[in-house]
Amino acid sequence: MKEKKTMKRHMGLRATNAISNSVIHVLLVIISIIWLIPFVCIVLQSFRMELTGQVGYVIPKQWGFGNYISLFKTDFTRWYINTFIIALVNAALQTVIVLCMSYTLSRFRFKMRGALMRFMMILGLFPGMLTMIILYRVLKDLGLTESNAVPGLILVYVASSGMGYYVSKGFFDTIPKSLDEAARVDGATRMQVLFKIILPLAKPIVIYTILTAFMAPWGDYVFARYISFNNPVGMNVAVGMYNWLTIDQINKNYTMFCAGGVVVAIPVTILFMCLQRYYVEGVTGGAVKG
Amino acid sequence: MKKILALLLAFAMLFSLAACGTKTGGETTDDTTSGDSSLAGTYDIKVWVADAITDLTQKQIDDFNNTNTDGIKFNATIQAVGENDIATQLITDVEAAGDIFIFAQDQFARLIQAGALAKLGQGAAQTVKDNNIPESVAAVTLNDELYGYPVTADNGYFMYYDKSVIPEEDVDSLEKLIEDCEGAGKYFSMELQTSAWYLASFFFATGCVSEWTIDDDGMATALNDTFDSPEGLIAAKGMKKLLDSPAHVSSSNASDFASGSAVLVCGTWAYDDVKAILGDNLGATDLPSFNVDGTDYHMGSFNGFKLMGVKPQTDATKQAALHKLAQYLTGEQCQLERFAERSWGPSNTVAQQNPDVAANAGQIAINLQAPYATPQGQISGAWWNIAKVIGDEVKDATDEAGIQAALDNYRDKCNALIGVGGFVFVGAWNGWDNADMTHKLTEENGVYTITIDVEESDYMGGRIVTATNWDTDHGAAQVTTGADLIDVEAGGGDNNIVFKEAGNYTVTWTEATNVIEIVKN
Repeated sequence: MKEKKTMKRHMGLRATNAISNSVIHVLLVIISIIWLIPFVCIVLQSFRMELTGQVGYVIPKQWGFGNYISLFKTDFTRWYINTFIIALVNAALQTVIVLCMSYTLSRFRFKMRGALMRFMMILGLFPGMLTMIILYRVLKDLGLTESNAVPGLILVYVASSGMGYYVSKGFFDTIPKSLDEAARVDGATRMQVLFKIILPLAKPIVIYTILTAFMAPWGDYVFARYISFNNPVGMNVAVGMYNWLTIDQINKNYTMFCAGGVVVAIPVTILFMCLQRYYVEGVTGGAVKG
Repeated sequence: MKKILALLLAFAMLFSLAACGTKTGGETTDDTTSGDSSLAGTYDIKVWVADAITDLTQKQIDDFNNTNTDGIKFNATIQAVGENDIATQLITDVEAAGDIFIFAQDQFARLIQAGALAKLGQGAAQTVKDNNIPESVAAVTLNDELYGYPVTADNGYFMYYDKSVIPEEDVDSLEKLIEDCEGAGKYFSMELQTSAWYLASFFFATGCVSEWTIDDDGMATALNDTFDSPEGLIAAKGMKKLLDSPAHVSSSNASDFASGSAVLVCGTWAYDDVKAILGDNLGATDLPSFNVDGTDYHMGSFNGFKLMGVKPQTDATKQAALHKLAQYLTGEQCQLERFAERSWGPSNTVAQQNPDVAANAGQIAINLQAPYATPQGQISGAWWNIAKVIGDEVKDATDEAGIQAALDNYRDKCNALIGVGGFVFVGAWNGWDNADMTHKLTEENGVYTITIDVEESDYMGGRIVTATNWDTDHGAAQVTTGADLIDVEAGGGDNNIVFKEAGNYTVTWTEATNVIEIVKN
């Protein structure tokens, strides 16, 4: 025991740090390799030219862009544009609604404020899927299904977004109220307080709201499938591409499907890379005071 | 003032939303001519077919528009919906669903249940009967009425194999095939753990049947099922050989050949893909035999059909016109076009004789398998989910009792499905099988009777229980008349009726008073 202790002292603080750091790094590298394998596979498969089905190996024997070329000969472009429109509009509207909601609940004191917040929380506890059938009927009666699924989906995504105010309200609560008061004393209106004082300080949370609102429609399948109801004009990428995977089609479309997956990942990845430093700040920022 | 403004704004929003709802469903047909028997006119229709034939179907409908003599013009919107997905999609929203659609046969019962198939008229029914093979006609027939049009007759499966791995002489034996695959480090693909359709192959081999009676509403009313029988046990043992092999993969995907499989059980739709991977090494033949206790059983298969259905319409003229179109689309010419473009094997008797069809390797293999195939009759839609778990349960079983338990479990679920009620006189005479319908009591006005032969044995006992259940207790303690014929002591805690001697007895149980009377005949 004694010898061990002395040895440790000999090694010094720097050496122990180096060892523990390298162990951690090796571990992290292993974890990230495991984590990245599926993505690497999809990218590699999307360049495979020799067979269009699923195969038992990862590295293509013949490389090429054929899958991407055939991808854009299908309805994929339409689905991509649909999803992009939904994502953009959703990002814009949802951000406005969520920020207004959070500002109001954070700064204003009005009758039934507490009751309203509790009510929304309880409402939020019900899974959204419960409303699916009735939503479909309502949208169908409004004529917002099938080929008009894009506005229909925007309506669905945006309509309930006000209830997602928790994180940003938490963030607003951390901004001292005395700042508002000082501005108000100087003659600023409520609107000016929001735009000139709160929002500049709350940049991370604004970015976070935009990001989540933009990303959600890319992955939605269930609602999008229901509302587009087999009409390719109204499909988003997830629904459209899923149809390539039927039993008699999968071997013809599998590599094209992978190519589609890569193309879908591009805008989300770019946006995420540009805004990621705000993202982390935004997620944790509101957590200090809830 | 502000509040009034807010209210006005809210109303304005509501109305602007309502304005979105101006578009009405394109259900109505325009300019049908005045003649009451004439079908002439332009109809907007929606067609649901598999992705693979959307372009072809568009072309065929155009051909119909140009050639039909009734002056019918269809303005068709073709949408890609998988044949296995039709019922689910259709039930979601019948109104917005396709007016005409191609579906796999297993969807039939569910579509009938949903009222989604229009009955064929006399003329159309006769045309279908005259031109298609009888099995395919049976597939669209329910209680002597026809509800659809056969499209293909090759929805069955057979065996593809890699000639470079499997020697020609081994293809008839399941055991040798497994050996060859294991020896070469290759796999044997057969979807046994997730599909009742493939799994039934083993049961058909030993002569088991699962025949359902379906009523006009698509509900299962009766069942003749022998999967849970000594033959079923043999079948399950044969299946376990493959399931237990390290070479087995539960899959039915053509691309398995690219990932190390040497044998694949699949259907004609995989032919082009398998050909692309194996090239000249492609072998296609009937399924092998398996050997249990010295006897060979040739594996069976389902032979099913793809069918075309017409959705019931509110407009009788449109309905009639749609039936005309369906007849055309399932006629000889369209079936051959589908074969030429997508290798869909025809159900039309004339089209089947076509030299190209007869020479196709996939069609040859399905014809080789045909003598062992069971035509897929009307089966309850729920059966597929009940039966598919047999695969996993048999694989997990460690001994014969475990395999038997899997089959018992299957039968209980089937019985529950057709609503087996009533009471069973369970005991030594039927091996204590509480789901044994041959010992079910016959009921009349709340009085249940059964006559049984009790054979000489150590313990000639039993009691009345609810079918498939052990809960109810009607036994020795309830016996009044004939108490001298039984040994109450021996019945013990289970309240069993134990007969003192062998013989033929009639047991009568009155539910209201819970009294049992026994008479020796």
